Amino acid sequence: MIWAKEETLPRSEIEAIQLTRLKSTVRYIYDRVKPYRGKMDAVGVKPEDIKTLDDLKRLPFTYKADFRDNYPDGLFAVDKKEIVRYHASSGTTGKPTVVGYTRNDLDMWLNNVARLACMGGATADDVAQISFGYGTFTGALGLHGGLEKIGASVIPMSSGNTNKQIMFLQDMGVTLLVATPSYALHLGEEVRNRGLDPAKDMKLRIGLFGGEGMTEAMRDEMHRVWGEQFVCTQNYGMSELCGPGVAGECTKLCGMHINEDWFIPEIIDPETEEVLPPGEKGELVVTCLGKEALPLVRYRTGDLTRLMYEPCECGRTTCRMENLSGRADDMLVIRGVNVFPTQIEEVLFKIEEIGPHYEILVERKNRLDVMTITVELTDDRLLDSYGKLSELEGRIRAALKSQLGLATQIRLVGPNSLKRFEGKAKRVTDLRKDGL
Amino acid sequence: MIRQISVFVENQPGSMMKVTSVLTEEHVNIRAISTFDTPEFGIMRLVVDDPVHAKDSLTRRGFVTRVSSVIGAELKDEKGNLNQMLKILADGQINVNYIYSFVIREGKAPVMVFHTDDFERAEKVLRAAEVKLVGEEEL
Repeated sequence: MIWAKEETLPRSEIEAIQLTRLKSTVRYIYDRVKPYRGKMDAVGVKPEDIKTLDDLKRLPFTYKADFRDNYPDGLFAVDKKEIVRYHASSGTTGKPTVVGYTRNDLDMWLNNVARLACMGGATADDVAQISFGYGTFTGALGLHGGLEKIGASVIPMSSGNTNKQIMFLQDMGVTLLVATPSYALHLGEEVRNRGLDPAKDMKLRIGLFGGEGMTEAMRDEMHRVWGEQFVCTQNYGMSELCGPGVAGECTKLCGMHINEDWFIPEIIDPETEEVLPPGEKGELVVTCLGKEALPLVRYRTGDLTRLMYEPCECGRTTCRMENLSGRADDMLVIRGVNVFPTQIEEVLFKIEEIGPHYEILVERKNRLDVMTITVELTDDRLLDSYGKLSELEGRIRAALKSQLGLATQIRLVGPNSLKRFEGKAKRVTDLRKDGL
Repeated sequence: MIRQISVFVENQPGSMMKVTSVLTEEHVNIRAISTFDTPEFGIMRLVVDDPVHAKDSLTRRGFVTRVSSVIGAELKDEKGNLNQMLKILADGQINVNYIYSFVIREGKAPVMVFHTDDFERAEKVLRAAEVKLVGEEEL
């Protein structure tokens, strides 16, 4: 099923909608968002200068740093009383990135999520278990609302507690699972460890995955674990743009369809910031159309991909983005949570007993991400007892948990054990191969 | 009171040897040693003939090292003497955090006792190196 007719319009009609909405979005943001007006004035572009879609490239970029500089709501275009929902995601430092929605924004958002649920094969007959963590993360409530829109029965399970997850999957006859792909693999193996065969003992037939990329190797593994009947697609979004709902894979599995009537994608060279021709790989830049609370123009997502404009066999005419092939920056995705090394650094710098050097190791153990942070011990007073050393470890872990919302492992080493860098430090080692 | 040095070491092959080789180079004599392990790191505690020089040498080479005081009690090598000392401390409600013994024994070569998960291989490599392994009856 295709949820909205806008997904199947001829190219010229999609572009006509984009141009109309782009003009009004630029006028709106110029009139209402002071930091963005400042950027436009600085390059001498006025709203009336936007006459064609090609004029988009004259507009300044918006960066994640703009959220930090205007924390918490300096980029908002409406008064607080118009906001009906806030969400938040990781910031590059201690403060989160806060986003807001008016009632119209929520409606637009959840309709876009409904589209990608349909792309993945969901219908009103499905029983959907949401195994994303709830809270300020947009993933859980986004899929929750979008699936309710199409009439599916939603179980807001949240993450963790494997026994309960499996009990609900079985007892409620769950047909659709929403999770990060790595958690879905972990859950599937736990199901098999209990002597169950998902293909025979469960009704699960659809997986809608997000929060982290799913490689083709992970998709193959998903079929091995859950059975060949399992149709698994992934979708793309980020809280700044609205959350999930920006793009999703259809069951033809040839890239993620971008909801182009609401989002204009561009691909740029992250170094030169030049727009690249269609089909080339670079950093995805997204302009949100028609958003009321938090309009964003030319937002630098940091995700590397390429765009494909050929129509898809599924009937949709919207362009597709390829599976992400990395990041233009040093952001890590750990268990579906975005982590910036700068966030970790900020925590470590406040702890006196350790030195300023650190290393981050990311591995996938038993399908789940494990992040180990190695720090150098410098304070000899801690050698009086093991208790003092383990208290320090515990204190670092707790501070990181509070900052990142993630459990980490801490490894203490002696001074000068870690590599020193003269140029740009390479502190992160990611051993996850093909996501497995 | 006597002074001990405590050195932070990682739990990996060769890390203790790095400490003892520094002390050897610096002509520091080790009188007593003890370590306890956690999965990732250990604290090596030593009594040496020149703790200040030992700390300086180790710190200069990047080891986190601390000098602190411990109590040394002389015990005759007779049955029940350790028990007697611990009883005195226990009766006095004094908690002993850790205890270890000197490696130098009158008239006899010191004996190191160590634990490993791979006894067979450890014995094999030590025998191959002509290290004399001491049985219980010889202690």
